[in-house]
Amino acid sequence: MTKTLFEKIWNSHLIDEQDGRSLLYIDRHLVHEVTSPQAFDGLRMNKRKVRRPDLTFATMDHNVPTNNRSLPIVDQTSAMQIQALERNCKEFGIQLFDINSPNQGIVHVIGPELGITLPGTTIVCGDSHTSTQGAFGAFAFGIGTSDVEHVLATQCIWMEKPNTFEIKIEGKRKNPHAVTAKDIILSIIREIGTGGGVGCVFEYKGEVVSEFSMEQRMTICNMSIEGGARAGLVAPDEKTFQYLKGRRYIPKNYDEYVEYWKENLKTDSGAKFDKSFTICTDKIVPQVSWGTNPAMTVDVTGSVPFAEEYAKGNPEEEKAANRALQYMGLKPGTPITDITVDRVFIGSCTNSRLEDLIEASTIVKGKKVSPKVRAMIVPGSQNVKKQAEEIGLDKIFKDAGFEWRESGCSMCLGMNPDILATGERCASTSNRNFEGRQGTGGRTHLVSPVMAAAASIYGHFVDVREMDLN
Amino acid sequence: MKGSVIKYDKDDIDTDVILPGPYLKIHDYGELAKHAMEGLDKDFHKRVKPGDFIVAGRNFGCGSSREHAPIALSYSGIKAVLALSFARIFYRNAVDGAFLLPIEIEENAYKDISDSDFLEIDISKNEIKNLTKNKTYKMKPFPELVGKIISAGGLFNYKP
Repeated sequence: MTKTLFEKIWNSHLIDEQDGRSLLYIDRHLVHEVTSPQAFDGLRMNKRKVRRPDLTFATMDHNVPTNNRSLPIVDQTSAMQIQALERNCKEFGIQLFDINSPNQGIVHVIGPELGITLPGTTIVCGDSHTSTQGAFGAFAFGIGTSDVEHVLATQCIWMEKPNTFEIKIEGKRKNPHAVTAKDIILSIIREIGTGGGVGCVFEYKGEVVSEFSMEQRMTICNMSIEGGARAGLVAPDEKTFQYLKGRRYIPKNYDEYVEYWKENLKTDSGAKFDKSFTICTDKIVPQVSWGTNPAMTVDVTGSVPFAEEYAKGNPEEEKAANRALQYMGLKPGTPITDITVDRVFIGSCTNSRLEDLIEASTIVKGKKVSPKVRAMIVPGSQNVKKQAEEIGLDKIFKDAGFEWRESGCSMCLGMNPDILATGERCASTSNRNFEGRQGTGGRTHLVSPVMAAAASIYGHFVDVREMDLN
Repeated sequence: MKGSVIKYDKDDIDTDVILPGPYLKIHDYGELAKHAMEGLDKDFHKRVKPGDFIVAGRNFGCGSSREHAPIALSYSGIKAVLALSFARIFYRNAVDGAFLLPIEIEENAYKDISDSDFLEIDISKNEIKNLTKNKTYKMKPFPELVGKIISAGGLFNYKP
């Protein structure tokens, strides 16, 4: 019988089935400081051990300040959470990439970078953007703290089998430097809605996905959760195998694995998906979110919509749109390119990898950040930062007036010192524009790294297709 | 199970408004409860009473995997969230920790139930009675295992 890639990974990890749910084996568990303390407390309370410390990896990313790391952490509650992770990893024998480690970084950036993320595996982490790692053909998904404790104790998890949802990305982009993976995933969410993928795992397919670099695949898989899906997958190919080759934690007999992956990790032709959606990229232009969820997004060539126009006759959508317009301080009909920004944030597990920074630097090189804008670059990991510095990106950004920071989640989620002030408007390469996400009363516009970089120079959104991107 | 309704006529109520990021550093559940729903409704904390239910639209709890979201609601007194649909991680977290009941309701019930209505929920019959309006609605039954985990009082008390 023909099977999808997801079904193959699922079947190969299935331990038991009962009462309509399945017990699934977990190959890799990534842990960070915010969603793990109660899980470790639970283990201690019940005198349990971590079943597979060798398959568990930890780092601190959510809370960490991204400025000078030689200074103590000012916020005491953050410092305590970070120290708790250090203690817990030591006590339970878990490999930790601590705040001073050259391998520290956003958990979903370092997983792939260190070769912890492998094709065909199951990966969990107490973070919804674990979906990022599906770019390698892994079933990678976010879990809450109770499940973190359950996986630490047992290395498996109860699940209801998700449905499969095929997303075909077809067509030919005229300018792939200006119309990026970020613009494509925002366009997909715009079409299917924030709940479109609830109960599903996406598999991204089609010629555009094959052309995508691993970084671009990670960007689209990352935002699968914003379309409601627990996970997103891309079948591994030569690019995947080349990306991982030589990385620190890949298996010793890597080439044998590659042979197995080539043979087994693809959706059989004729395999049936529960749902399917096709997007053609020919006409996609750079995207800018205007509202308070990622589906509230328009073309950069468009205007802030009127609530009734956005709602298409749905009274609840109209109410939501009116609330979003008010929160965002936007007047319907305003051309997107007339919207000025106070802050620019290039970072987060969506867009903080080396390629993202290289793309942004092509816009910034030789120019100056608008005097009205405060702009920052937060590399996804210390390794990304180092590689960027080796090719001189730090100099390009700093010369232009950007702040060049240490790695972490930073301004994506407003729980470390990098936050927006009330009313501040930000062009952000992150993944969520929810109310208060980047700080109470902060206003987030989701964009690609090149769009964010361009906004930093001009002080308002511009259509990057009109700029020289070479 | 009886309680009053706090209704949010809204889809996509995300975990960032249910419990904003800055409070993820708080470990005291009672303290977390003080900030429940703060991103959407600053008065929630003053208004909520033990035993209350939240009624909301589609995709409740979307976004972050923070278990702090159902914990904050639970410790502020919320016994169940009745929504048209739930984001999956929120749903799991609510059930796994036995923090609150995530109950899927139908469109007619959602439209009919008003803020401050007094409801009686009977899980064994999959029934919701609106005692204020003297009406009865169906709730979507819990999947078998979810029902068992709920009866056991959470994932760690459940024995297969």
